[in-house]
Formats: sequence, structure tokens, C-alpha cells
Amino acid sequence: MSEHGALYVYALLPDREGAADGVTGLDGRPVRLLSVPGTGVAALVHDAEAAPYQGDDEQVRRWVGEQSRAVTAVWERTGSLLPTTFNVLVAGGGPDADGTGEERTAEQRLTDWVTEQAPRITEQLGSLAGRCELRVEVTLDRTAVSAPDTTGADTGVGNSRSAGMRRLLAKQQENNSRQRAEQLADSLHAGLRRRLLSVAEELRDRGRAHRAPQETDVLSAALLVRGDDIDAVGTVLSELQAEQPAVRIRFLGPWPPYSFAEIPEGHGSPAARQGR
Amino acid sequence: MTADQGPLRPTRDPRVTLDDLVEVLLNKGAVLHLDLIVAVADIPLIGVNIRAALAGMETMLEFGMMRNWDEATRAWAERSARRRGIDLREGESAVCRMSGGHLLTGGVYTGWRPGTVHLTDRRLVVQRDEPREILWQAELGDVRAVRLEPERTVGGEERLRLRVALADGTEELLSAQEPEKLHARLTEACAGRLDAAFPFTPAVEEERLLEGHLWFHEPRRGGPLWRGGQGRLIGSALVWKSPVDSRPALVVRTADITAVEWSAERSPTGDGGVFTLRTADGGEVRLAAGDPETWMRKLDVSRPSLPHPLPLKTG
Repeated sequence: MSEHGALYVYALLPDREGAADGVTGLDGRPVRLLSVPGTGVAALVHDAEAAPYQGDDEQVRRWVGEQSRAVTAVWERTGSLLPTTFNVLVAGGGPDADGTGEERTAEQRLTDWVTEQAPRITEQLGSLAGRCELRVEVTLDRTAVSAPDTTGADTGVGNSRSAGMRRLLAKQQENNSRQRAEQLADSLHAGLRRRLLSVAEELRDRGRAHRAPQETDVLSAALLVRGDDIDAVGTVLSELQAEQPAVRIRFLGPWPPYSFAEIPEGHGSPAARQGR
Repeated sequence: MTADQGPLRPTRDPRVTLDDLVEVLLNKGAVLHLDLIVAVADIPLIGVNIRAALAGMETMLEFGMMRNWDEATRAWAERSARRRGIDLREGESAVCRMSGGHLLTGGVYTGWRPGTVHLTDRRLVVQRDEPREILWQAELGDVRAVRLEPERTVGGEERLRLRVALADGTEELLSAQEPEKLHARLTEACAGRLDAAFPFTPAVEEERLLEGHLWFHEPRRGGPLWRGGQGRLIGSALVWKSPVDSRPALVVRTADITAVEWSAERSPTGDGGVFTLRTADGGEVRLAAGDPETWMRKLDVSRPSLPHPLPLKTG
């Protein structure tokens, strides 16, 4: 690659010869390991132009699918890696961090950085070895939860009401059922969280779940789980489904530990602080 | 459904997981050092999708989250923030505009989409600035009611949102840098056209007997962890929620509490702030507070004296 080229970085991983053999990344480009001598760490990269990947939503989805496939394939061979986000590009030739004005290639810059960060990267790789990420999303289908509220709103009197009033009452009823679902969701969340925490090593709340309009969020979390505990999480979820038929469960994975890959903070980089 | 009660199996089927992967890969993963990033047209990218970066920076600027960013990045974001406006129709005039966003619901993605809220004498518009796109808009003639609503953000802060009810019975939620101002201007602009009241009343909450900072000793696989959060004692339950969780991690029905015990052990509040709730199913919940006596007293009072089930709350 020319000195003005860049490296598209997929992951940092233990340096295992052959781990990237035959794997392709974005747009079918072959990926390779950039070994960082003396650290036991390698970066999974492809040679790229110094420009980010941009495109419409469909295009980005396709690239993300390709990135995820490449990272997952290599992760399954090495048992541990730190995946990077989409569009992590290391450019060559930029100003030297030391201010000496000397230009470095992308490989040199990435190698220098990995060398400097190696203790933290190695520690993080060790703590994630043999672990995977699972995604659990639970919602509550309100139509399957609440008995309809029959406080005169939909009795015979309703027929004589104006369209506006009927709409208003329907809204009110929807609101009541939403409120009952909120309370149920709170207690289901507390119980499910407790059971998941007894199995998973870490749980990160992810805020809002994907859900249909008639559903209420219960829990949306990324779990860090040992490979042989995946079934234990599955058992917690199937028990929940049996206890509360109105819950809808999405259970995704196992993935490389995307949500647990941040490199512990070193000397105050704004990017690291921002990522918290 | 079969009668099989075996463990649920996770799926990797890309048809199911791709949306989640898109979200995770645009937002998660290791972030490399700032020195390494590529600068494109003086926009530094820290491993984020360029469109996400563009949309997100303005929000970060608005909420003062970019204090730590270098001057160049901030200057760029501020320049871009100034470059905004909407295409007015003939005879339409702008009333006010401010940073804000629209809550997208109902589709594959649910979430806040940041941009600029524009109020004109005809429309309410939320527009993404870069690339420029109208995220949501409504004719003022279709606005039936507007209301300010408090919402707790992920960080635990309470922020006012603007709820807008439309003639077709739908509702939308907007965020705005100055929600009160937007509410006032919008109400003025719709003068005489709005319904007297919002079509439905806000949810009625149970009376709060006690509310305040409370530590919860959350049981975990690797051993329990003291977590700080907000405790709330209402008539029927004790609820504890951390500002970083989306829902409470603890809901104990007061009817299930069999004992409230003092314990002299160390906690984040120092010595002796710890008390334990014992529950009917044999469980115990460890909590700590700066004023444990108040919590213990109120908890004791709130317990129904007779072992009868609590009446179900209706409406």
C-alpha cells in the first residue's frame, strides 16, 4: 500500500498465525492480520483509501453485515477479540503525535499505538476470552395483558357520543392499559434482571427495544456470557415466557463482545472519555 | 408452541439480527485513540459512521458534551450548526427555531432523531441538518393539543418534552433546547384552534410516601455490588431504580415484606446505614441510606398489618 493509504481496522486480537486466512471483509476485500511485534497482539485490517465508507442505508447495512461476518469468523478461531466500530480508519502521513513532523505510514501509526496500549489491550483480551455477547430484548404485548376497562366507555351509551368523544375515550382506555403494562413491566424487569445477573458476567442496559406499537419495553440488554452459559440464559428466558405468556422475547447471538470491547482508559484521551 | 420447556436458543440469522448489528456496529466496539483517526474535509471521525457523527455532534454540542473535544472539532460542529434553515413556502414566515429532535416510533427503529425544530406560521417541522432531510412535520391546522411532559433521560435528569396531539388521533413527542419557549410559541401560533385540554389526562401515580437516594446491594454472579440510585416508596411497593437502567432493578411489594432489620455493616454511606428487608419467599434485600431510620420507619408503617392480599389497583 502506498504511504498515503489507510488501514480499515476490524478488530484487535491475539496474534495467531492464519486466523484471518480466507476471510473477506467489506466489499469482499480480503482481510489480513497486522502483527505487532513483541506484543502478542495483531490488528485485523484491510488496505483502504483514506476515506470513510459512505452510502445509503441499504449500502451501510450490507457493509455492516460483511464486517460482522468477517469479525465473527476470526473470533471463532481465536476465542477472543476486541471488535471496533464501523469506519475505523487509520490514515498514514498525518502529523506525528510527538510533534517531530515526521510522516509515518498507516501501518507504523497503528503499530506504534498498539505497542503503547498493549498491556491494556492484552488485559482486555484476556478478560473477554471464552465469552460472547448475547442480546436479550423483552417486551410486553399490551393486547395480551390487560382486561378491557368497561367503565361505561364502551357500553351502549357510547353510541350516542360524538366521534370526537369516542376517540377521546378510546385514548383514555389505551392510556389506562399502558399504565397497567408499565407497572407490570417494572416488576418483570426487576425479576428478569436479577435472574440474568445470576448467570451473566455483565449486563448492559441498552435502553429502548425494537417493539411494535402495542408493546411496552421490559428489558433490552447486552449480556457478556461464558460460552457454556448460553443455555442457562436460554432457560431463564423460556421460564419467563412460560410464566408470563404476554411477553415477547428476542434472543440474539452469540456475537463477539461488541458492547464490552472498550479499551480501559489510559492517559486521558478525549475519545475514551467520550465513549463512557 | 410446543410443550418443550428447553432453553430458548439465540439466533444469528442475519434476517433477524442485521438491524441490531447495524446499531451495535455504529455505536459500540473499541474506540481507537483520537490521534489515529482519518480527517476528511476537516471532520475527524472516531470510528463512527459519518452520518451518525454529523447528526450526533449537534446534540452533543447542545448538551455541552463536547467540552472535552479539541478546538477544531468544536469549531467545525459550531459552523455546521449555524448552517441550518428550512425551505419556506411562499408567504410562509418563520417564527422560531432551536435544536431538538423527534421521537421516531412504530417502525423498525425507535429512537430520537436529532435535528432542528422549526416553527413557522403554518408548520411545525423537525429537520435533520446534514444531510438535510425533513424528519417530521405537521400543519398547524392539524395540531389539536400541545403539552409539556417531564421525561427522565438515561442519565437520570428530568427533561421537558413537547407532546403534540394531531387531528388524526396520533401523537408525537419532540425534544427541544427550550421546550417552554417552543410550547408558548406553538400555542400562540395555533391560537383559537387548539382543544381546551389535552385529549387525555396524564397517568395518575400512586402517592409517594418517601423518595430519595438509596443504595441497593445488587446480587450478581461475581458477588453483590452496591449501586446508587433512587428509591421510591409508594403505598403498594418499594421501587429502586438506577439512573443508568431503563427500569427499576428492584420492586418489592410491601405486602411481601416480613421484616425490616438493621445491620451494623459497612456500606457506601459509611458505617451503619445498612438495613435488610426480608420477604415472604425467603429472600432478602440489602439497602443503605444516609437516613436509614426514616426508610425503616416508613417501610414498617406501609406494611399492611393483616396478611391479606393488597386490593388490586383499578384505574
